[in-house]
This record gives sequence, C-alpha cells and structure tokens, in this order.
Amino acid sequence: MISAYYFGAISLILIGLYAVLTKRNLLKILVGLSIMETGVNLLLISVGYVSGRTAPILTEGATPQTTVDPIPQALVLTAIVIGVATTALALTVAINLYEKYKTLDIEKIRGLRG
Amino acid sequence: MMQYASLLIALPLFSAFLVPLIKRAGKKVILYYLSLVTLIQTGIAAWVFKEVYTSGNPIIVIAGGFKPPVGINLYIGHFAALFILIIAIVSFFMTVFSIKAIDVEPIDKYAMLFLLLMLGATGMIATGDIFNLFVFMEITAISAYALTGYNKTGEASEAAMKYIVLGGIGSSFFLVGIALLYGSLGTLNLAQIAMLASKINPTVAQAALTLLVFGLAVEAELFPLNAWAPDAYQASPHPVTVMFSAFVVKAGIYAMIRIVYLFKDTQAFMGILNLLLILGTLTVIIGELSALRQTNVKRMLAYSSIAQIGLIAVGFGVATPQAVDAAVFHMLNHAIVKTLMFLAVGYVAVKFGSPQIENFRGLGKRMPLTAFTITVGAISIVGIPLFNIFWSKFKLLLAALQVGKTGIVALILGASLVEAVYYFRLLHLMWFEEGKGEKVEEDLTLGIIMLLLVALIVVIGVYPDFVWGIVQKASADLYNVAQYVKNVPLLQGVSP
Repeated sequence: MISAYYFGAISLILIGLYAVLTKRNLLKILVGLSIMETGVNLLLISVGYVSGRTAPILTEGATPQTTVDPIPQALVLTAIVIGVATTALALTVAINLYEKYKTLDIEKIRGLRG
Repeated sequence: MMQYASLLIALPLFSAFLVPLIKRAGKKVILYYLSLVTLIQTGIAAWVFKEVYTSGNPIIVIAGGFKPPVGINLYIGHFAALFILIIAIVSFFMTVFSIKAIDVEPIDKYAMLFLLLMLGATGMIATGDIFNLFVFMEITAISAYALTGYNKTGEASEAAMKYIVLGGIGSSFFLVGIALLYGSLGTLNLAQIAMLASKINPTVAQAALTLLVFGLAVEAELFPLNAWAPDAYQASPHPVTVMFSAFVVKAGIYAMIRIVYLFKDTQAFMGILNLLLILGTLTVIIGELSALRQTNVKRMLAYSSIAQIGLIAVGFGVATPQAVDAAVFHMLNHAIVKTLMFLAVGYVAVKFGSPQIENFRGLGKRMPLTAFTITVGAISIVGIPLFNIFWSKFKLLLAALQVGKTGIVALILGASLVEAVYYFRLLHLMWFEEGKGEKVEEDLTLGIIMLLLVALIVVIGVYPDFVWGIVQKASADLYNVAQYVKNVPLLQGVSP
C-alpha cells in the first residue's frame, strides 16, 4: 500500500515533467521544472516521515524513537536553495532570450543549427 | 598534514568570493588573479598526487572531525588524485587562454564562475557522500549554465536555457534516486552504501540506480540527456568549452560509475551495466553521425567529444578489470586531446571571428603552428598508432574481445572510420586548399601550451607504459569497491 504522500510527490513530479516536455512557452516550462522540484522535495520529506512521531526538535523527552528522521529535512533545505538559484538563473536567461528573439515560444527560438 | 588536501575545495571557494573585492582593479588584474589561483591549485593538486601515488594510500579528509557516516568525508584515492590534477592543470591553461579569448564584460563574474566550475568538478570527484555529490554537481551545473550564457548573444542564451531545462530534469531524477537509496539503506555515505548494498530490494536498487544514471547522464553527456551539449559547446566562451570537454563531463561520468559500482555484487548490477552499454552505444552512434554534417568546426568537435564519452561509458559497461582500465585511460587521453583541439580551434575562432569551417581553409599557411597541433589532435582521435588515443581504443578493443562482445569491437572500429572521414576532410581543407588572407602572428604562450599538449600526446603514444601504470592504479581505485569500503574510517556502532 503506497503512502498518499508518495503518491502526491510522484504525481507532482510527473505533472511537472509533462509540462516541461509538452509546453512551448518558456515560462510554462520553467514552472514545470519548479513543480518537479516541489514533488522531489515532498518525496524526500516523506522518506523520513514516520506516522505518529513528532518533529525532530531537540527538547526534553525527544529521542530517535519518538521523532521523524531529520536528515531528509536537511537535504530538502539544501535542495530548495539550489532550486531557487537555478530558477533565478533560468528566468534571467529567459529575459535575455526575450530581448533577443522577441518571443518566448521555443519553436521560434532556433538560432543554433547543426 | 593530510588535511591540507581540503584546500583543493577551500582555495577556489574562498578565491571566488574574493573576486568582487578586486573587480575595480580591471580586467587584466582579475584574469592574472585567476591564473595565480589556478596555479596554486595545480601546486596543491600535484602535491596530493605525489602523496597518494608514493604512499599508495588514499588521502581521506574528515570534515569537522566527525567520522562518516555522521560527517562527510573527502576521499582522494588514485583516481581522484589523477583527475583533480588534470582539472587544475587544464583550468590553469584556460586562464592563460582567457586572457586572449575573453572580452565580454563583466570579467569579474566570469572569474568567479570559472573558479566555482573548477571547484564543483573537483568536489564531485573527491567527495565520499552522495548528497554532497549532489551539491557539488549543482555548483558545477549552475556555474556551467551561467558560463554557457556568458556571451549574452541569442545563441548563448538559447544554449544556456536548453542546458538548464535538461539539467533541471536530471537533478530531479538524481534526487529521487537518492531518496530511494536513503529510504532503503538509511545512509548517504558512499562506503556505507556499498556495505549495505546487498540488503536492498533488487527492484528498488534497479529503480534507484536507473534514476541516478539518468540524472548524471546530463553532466556525463550521455544520450538522451545530452541534447544541450553541442549547443553549449558552440555558444560558450572558448576556454569554457575546453573545461566542459576536458573535465566537467569526466566528473559526471566518474560520479555515475562510482555509484553504480558500489552495487557490483548485487542483482541489480547486470541490469544497470546493460543500460550503460545501450546508452553508451547510442551516444557513440548519434554523436559520430551528427559530427559528419557539421560546418561549424567547434560544433563538430563537440559531437566528437560526446561520442568519445559514449565509448568510455561502454568500457565501464563491460565492467571487467581490463575494460575499466581502458575506460579510465580513454578518459585521460581524451581530456588531453580535446583540451588541445578546443584550444586550437577556439584560438582560430578568436583570430578569424568564428569557428566556421571556411576559416580553416588554407590554415596551414596562415597559422602553421595551430594547424599542426590540430592535425596531431585529429590523427590521435582517429586512433592512429604512435598517438595516445590509439592505446586506449586498442585496449578497449582487447577488453571487449576478451569477453566476446564483438558488437563493441565493431562500434569502436566503425566510430574510428567515421572520425577519419570528418577529421581528414578538415585536414585536407587546412593543408591542401588555398585560403584567402595572409599569414598571421601566433601567440607564443598559447603556442607553448599547445606544443606541450602535443608532446604529451606523442610521448604517451610512443611510451604508454608509465601512464598506463598510473591509469591502472586509478581504475583499481574505482573497481575495487571492497578496498574503498575498507579505507573509509566509518564510525563504529552507528547503524541506520
């Protein structure tokens, strides 16, 4: 029985991937990438989740047996930062592309030829 | 004493963030600063190389004093020592080339990104933790995206966007692979993953490794996630193209193989090897056939470079000790030859305005030294004896024959034949057709670097044994997972 969290995470990843592969508007493609990232982050958090346990905050009474796994949460914080940096860079490049080609349609942006 | 090896990470990181402080000093000062930092990095890498190869032991740096898996370790074995040295040397050469080749502002951003690119690739090869590998991969990737778009032309932005989109997909796949591994094994340390690999469910292992392979296929430039590469190579500043070909892609494929081989004794391993063989073969075929049609020489070289990476992946997919030896040898030889080729072709582009094939007509008369070095590089890549790549292709051929994989033999020979067609066409154009224009003066410093690389190509081609000995130690480092696990000082009593 797959957890609802995994199902949600995988769904987000697939929705994002679908957008990246099928959309022609650059900004929609970048939104798709962000949705994928969100799905991956949710998946990572879900891996560390244990039903009935509490947040992994060091307080009196907190033990490894009563809290969820903190490591995936640490990984996600890093992944979020990297995602922000990548998205910011991508939007900068999109602005530059729009300035050069006057469109965000990837079918019309075809300067490089084999 | 061994902790000084962490300077390989600390120096470029610290230096990168010093760049904004000196940016008012002007372009020349920034680029000379870049040369100084990469020269020091080369010195440190050379010292590490000497330490590892004379003692026979890896240097293991434990960050903050926390033993793995609680802390993150760097593992600089024979393979890492060799390739970190290559990264440093190529970076230094490219700072010299940058002084001639880079004129787009802002130079300070270029310098910072350059150092981060070197840092990221070094970290990917040195790290002993799979999530830390992800972080270094992203540092490499983001620097590479930005450098691809650095020239600010429409083509540069187009290439950067393609790279970003495919890189984003690859990163997501990689993270999902990490999630599956961590969820199953409870650890991120590479050595501990290897220890626990036999306990993982074979289906989960297969899924995780497949995702990790596809995730790294972007950096490693394997089909189908390498569509960005010819565009990025064509559009990026010439020194950056050299770095992509010489070491960024090597870091990607090293990371892929290091992870896959951790599962060497499990059921999932054979399936992943077949995946590597298929992806590698497709990469070779598509890369070589695409190169045939190019009129932009830099782009032609890009496809050629991609095809060589496919051959390396095939070697790792065969996965016998001999095949791994040959694959690592090809990684080394390819790094040398493509550094030379992209440097020389980039230099022609700097002189004549673009790397279109028309600018190579009659090059033998106009830039004889550069034409000579391109000739040596081309002949070497095709696999002709007395040049270095002959040996790695030949040993790859022997390794394939040993296990009866005649399809791989046909692939290698067929690839060389196609290479001969497009490279000899270029050579003919350079030496036997009349070009317009007079002889131009060639830069002494760049000439020396190119001749050094030519000398290396010929020396390895004529006397391969010394370098072959180094390569065998490097590949044993990769292949002998049990020794890798034994070397890493895991904290006792910590079980996931």
